[in-house]
Amino acid sequence: MAALLETRDVTIRFGGLVAVNLLNISVDKGDIVAIIGPNGAGKTTAFNLITGVYKPTEGDILLNGEKINGKRPDEIAKMGIARTFQNIRLFKELTVLENVLIATHLNVKTGLFSAVLKLPHARKEEKEMRKFAEFLLEETGLLQFKDEIASNLPYGLQRRLEIARALATKPRLLLLDEPAAGMNPKESEDLTEFIREIRDKFGLTVLLIEHHMQLVMDISDKIYVLEYGRTIAKGVPAEIQANPAVIKAYLGEEDDKDA
Amino acid sequence: MKTMNKRNLILNIVVIAALIGFIIWAEESRSFGAYNQRIFKTCCIYAICALSMNMVNGFTGLFSLGQPGFMAIGAYVTAFLTVSAQDKISIYKIVPISEGMANLHLPFFAALILGGIIAAVFAFLIGFPVLRLRGDYLAIATLGFSEIIRIFITNAQGITNGPTGINRIPNTYMNLYVVCGILALIMIFILAMMKTSYGRALLAIREDEVAAEAMGINLFKHKMLAFVLSGFFAGIGGGLLASLVGAIGPDQFKFTVAYEILLMVVLGGQGSVSGCVAGAFVVRIALEKLRFLDEPIDFGFIQYKGIGGMRMVVFSVLLMLVIILWRKGIFGSKEFSWDRFFGFFAKFKKSPKKEVIE
Ligand SMILES: Nc1ncnc2c1ncn2[C@@H]1O[C@H](COP(=O)(O)OP(=O)(O)OP(=O)(O)O)[C@@H](O)[C@H]1O
Ligand SMILES: [Mg+2]
Repeated sequence: MAALLETRDVTIRFGGLVAVNLLNISVDKGDIVAIIGPNGAGKTTAFNLITGVYKPTEGDILLNGEKINGKRPDEIAKMGIARTFQNIRLFKELTVLENVLIATHLNVKTGLFSAVLKLPHARKEEKEMRKFAEFLLEETGLLQFKDEIASNLPYGLQRRLEIARALATKPRLLLLDEPAAGMNPKESEDLTEFIREIRDKFGLTVLLIEHHMQLVMDISDKIYVLEYGRTIAKGVPAEIQANPAVIKAYLGEEDDKDA
Repeated sequence: MKTMNKRNLILNIVVIAALIGFIIWAEESRSFGAYNQRIFKTCCIYAICALSMNMVNGFTGLFSLGQPGFMAIGAYVTAFLTVSAQDKISIYKIVPISEGMANLHLPFFAALILGGIIAAVFAFLIGFPVLRLRGDYLAIATLGFSEIIRIFITNAQGITNGPTGINRIPNTYMNLYVVCGILALIMIFILAMMKTSYGRALLAIREDEVAAEAMGINLFKHKMLAFVLSGFFAGIGGGLLASLVGAIGPDQFKFTVAYEILLMVVLGGQGSVSGCVAGAFVVRIALEKLRFLDEPIDFGFIQYKGIGGMRMVVFSVLLMLVIILWRKGIFGSKEFSWDRFFGFFAKFKKSPKKEVIE
């Protein structure tokens, strides 16, 4: 069986810098896969390549065997890849509910004029969108904040809202860029549980970038380790923890920091 | 909460009824006067143009200054099609108009809508190259478009009668009911649209293009939607202006018009329909009241000779001050609401109490 997401020798250069070098990852349906690596390793750039923000200089990206490199981000979102951002990018001045509603727009069937005239089918679709958005807010524990302006939410809830918004696009593959950033151990433990929960409930496949090793080791079916754009290791958590190159490049560095 | 909603509904009905009453009085009674009527109509027409700019600048977060161009297109189409054949033949002196062209004629409303549509078509065509530009580049490109339209109009004598322009434009339908009615229709359309998924998509683009695109919003398509609607509204505004003034020439559509509309939008509150309308009224009335600056004034001890264009200098300074000091405008990006209206006054009443509690 082909993987849900596959990158084949994906490379991108920014001037002289090779930010991602011959990236070959393969994500099976239903799995939770992690990309780890030191700062500037090219992890976010890999996400930007997969979601069409950047076009690879070389290589191909396949979703369900279909080539998606060269497509626009909105086309890729429609094909079933949704993401969150490392630096939260909510629609700040809009409400929590509106943030989620906006992400249901890509599936809208009503035309502009039927929507403005509130024709029966338009009304019905709008109602369904609201119901779905409220359902997602319920699932993510944000329903009580639905009329709150997004930027007024505390940081942790903003991260949750980004996930709720991504889910609203009805993705098959969810990309999470450092979802546990700024969380304490208890919160990141809750997040681990939460990611598993939504994976099961929505039949998702998850690819995530994370620095919290505990979370990564707990949750991942497979881990890729990047350094200077290159993949220096891949494998199940136990293999990664035992890999000397990884310990040197990344985990070792973490230890230094902790010491 | 329920009683609040009821209160707001009643207040809305009362205010709308009062507005309608005022419009009927202003139209029918002699005491309001032709001069005030004309200012009122001009305010409404500029409100339409401000709403046109707000569609792109306020809701979608782009920065376009193409209004004079779209207004000119609407104005010339409406003028050309409503002036009678004999009048056209006598107006076009330097380059005579062909008989076929002179005979082109449409009833006012058809001409007005066609003017809007043609402006929208132009918006669509120039949208392809310019909507890919960002920020200031878009402003420069659209301003350039406006100037190109104006220069085209100046030179296409056979169609536009060149620098002389077109006059004897009939104003049969330019009563307050028609002008206010069209403004109301456009306001209702925009308010309804902003409550739909499409409206929210525009706001999303304003808030964060990268996130909007990642959530599946086709940026180009939605920017184009806003831009074409904006072109249509400006075309309608231009057509009404032509009919109200009765005579148009290329000079009326200079790029300074874009700044004037920008001031209305910024002053009123970018992203607010009620704000834009309020901004248009404030600016137009202020411009009217500042007219004395262009004329000589005798202070008794000092004779002010009156400097032509002084009004525009004061006006430009105002624009700068508003942009520097008060970027949010009267209404911010929000619509007028009674809750906020009363909340504003409640602030004054409650603030001392709060201090005691804390
Ligand atoms: N648009 C760009 N233009 C030029 N260089 C870029 C661009 N985007 C990323 N880079 C560079 O590519 C490298 C990888 O950056 P990236 O953001 O992917 O790192 P990361 O692994 O996500 O790091 P972090 O853990 O800090 O988020 C960095 O050196 C960065 O400066
Ligand atoms: Mg990153």
